[in-house]
Amino acid sequence: MRIKEHPILEFNPGKKVKFTLDEIEMEGYEGEPIASALVAAGVKVLSRSIKYHRPRGFFCAIGKCSSCLMKVNGIPNVRTCVTKLEEGMKIETQKGKGDFN
Amino acid sequence: MIKKADIVIIGGGIQGCSIAYNLAKKGAKNIVILEKNTCASGSSGRCGAGIRQQFGTKMNCILARESMKIFETLSEELDYDIELNQAGYLILAYTEKEINQFKKNVVLEQSLGIEAKMVTPEEAKEIVPPLNLEGIIGGTFCPTDGNVNPLYTTFGYAEAAQRLGVKYYPFTEVTEIETEDKRILSVITNKGKILTPIVVNAAGGYSGPVGKMAGVDIPVYSQRHQILITEPIDPLWKPMLMSFSENYYFQQLPDGGVLGGYGDPEHEIIGDNVGSSWQFSRTMAKKMVKLVPILKEVHMVRQWAGLYNMSPDAQPILGEHPQLKGFYMSVGFSGHGFMLAPVTGRLIAELILDGKTSIPIDKLDIGRFKRGELICEPSVV
Repeated sequence: MRIKEHPILEFNPGKKVKFTLDEIEMEGYEGEPIASALVAAGVKVLSRSIKYHRPRGFFCAIGKCSSCLMKVNGIPNVRTCVTKLEEGMKIETQKGKGDFN
Repeated sequence: MIKKADIVIIGGGIQGCSIAYNLAKKGAKNIVILEKNTCASGSSGRCGAGIRQQFGTKMNCILARESMKIFETLSEELDYDIELNQAGYLILAYTEKEINQFKKNVVLEQSLGIEAKMVTPEEAKEIVPPLNLEGIIGGTFCPTDGNVNPLYTTFGYAEAAQRLGVKYYPFTEVTEIETEDKRILSVITNKGKILTPIVVNAAGGYSGPVGKMAGVDIPVYSQRHQILITEPIDPLWKPMLMSFSENYYFQQLPDGGVLGGYGDPEHEIIGDNVGSSWQFSRTMAKKMVKLVPILKEVHMVRQWAGLYNMSPDAQPILGEHPQLKGFYMSVGFSGHGFMLAPVTGRLIAELILDGKTSIPIDKLDIGRFKRGELICEPSVV
């Protein structure tokens, strides 16, 4: 499933680009939300809850709920549902609350 | 609601609850707390909840030291986990003048058994590794300073007081205080009248208007102070970071959020406005990122405000009013009410029941302003 229309966000997917999730190569469209590309690639777990480390998936999709916080190009706690995908992005699932060290 | 009480406390925040608990613990009966909203809904629940013992006057050092002693065992005493976190306060100096003041402070603090010491910029960086040392020429560190959860602390006092028989009335607003022959007669609320010989004004940000109801002019005003907090992140550092000259205080709390604020006496709103401003979050974020650059990628998630109840010398006004028998004040804490509440609550209870206190607080009486004996505390934000 790929999100093409969004009630709030506007995105015009560009060319096909490659990126990695935890060093696994994936493909998506430039400019679409990172989370959209991940969902389209069949990724269901984007993060883990802080206390019990339960799986958290795609939820609010408008940058509010923190279910999609991931490490993007080394920066933790990036809201992947409202961050545009770029060529060669390094996406990582993160453990804990975000390691800024 | 009851019709008669021995002691009526106006204000159900940390002051009122600590005073009520200490009164009941000493055996007093028929104590009532009147709270116009809910427990800790005012400044107690809005404060930064930092507790420090590093001050510049002997009296403040002693009060803060004794308060910390109480905080250290308060969870057991109240049977309520107040989340005490003794991570220390690192107070940073940017000028020679500040260093000289800090040297004097440390000598004073050490003479009173407070574990503060001078630190070099390099030592400061060892304590807080992500620190940007730009402009910092030294500082002081006291490892036993810290913070608690202000809501839990107030709830803990309120519940412990109620177990000892204190009656706590939320949503009960005082509208009038009746007096006769310079004595307290009764308190009138939106829920009825209570006859009482003793009223304690512990109304925090609203203590000035409460004084007026009793026909007493208390030289205090309230000013908004704002705080912001970031998303929780993995531990970066522990102590509170504070500067008087650069004007900030912020700390990573045990749950991972970084909380902080600064004082802006020249621009902040006077009165009871507790709204938020974008100017604050912008300025505070800049201060935080300058000192701990790693925070630039961290999201702020919330901001809020509370009231500092300011007195002319930024020191509390404690004790009975000389012209109104039975009218006790625990007001004007000027931003330090939460951290001092365990000790001042005990001292006010001693004053009411015994007529004297185990630590002298006579210098903090309301008469000092007329006498011109203002207290000069150099170490305040």
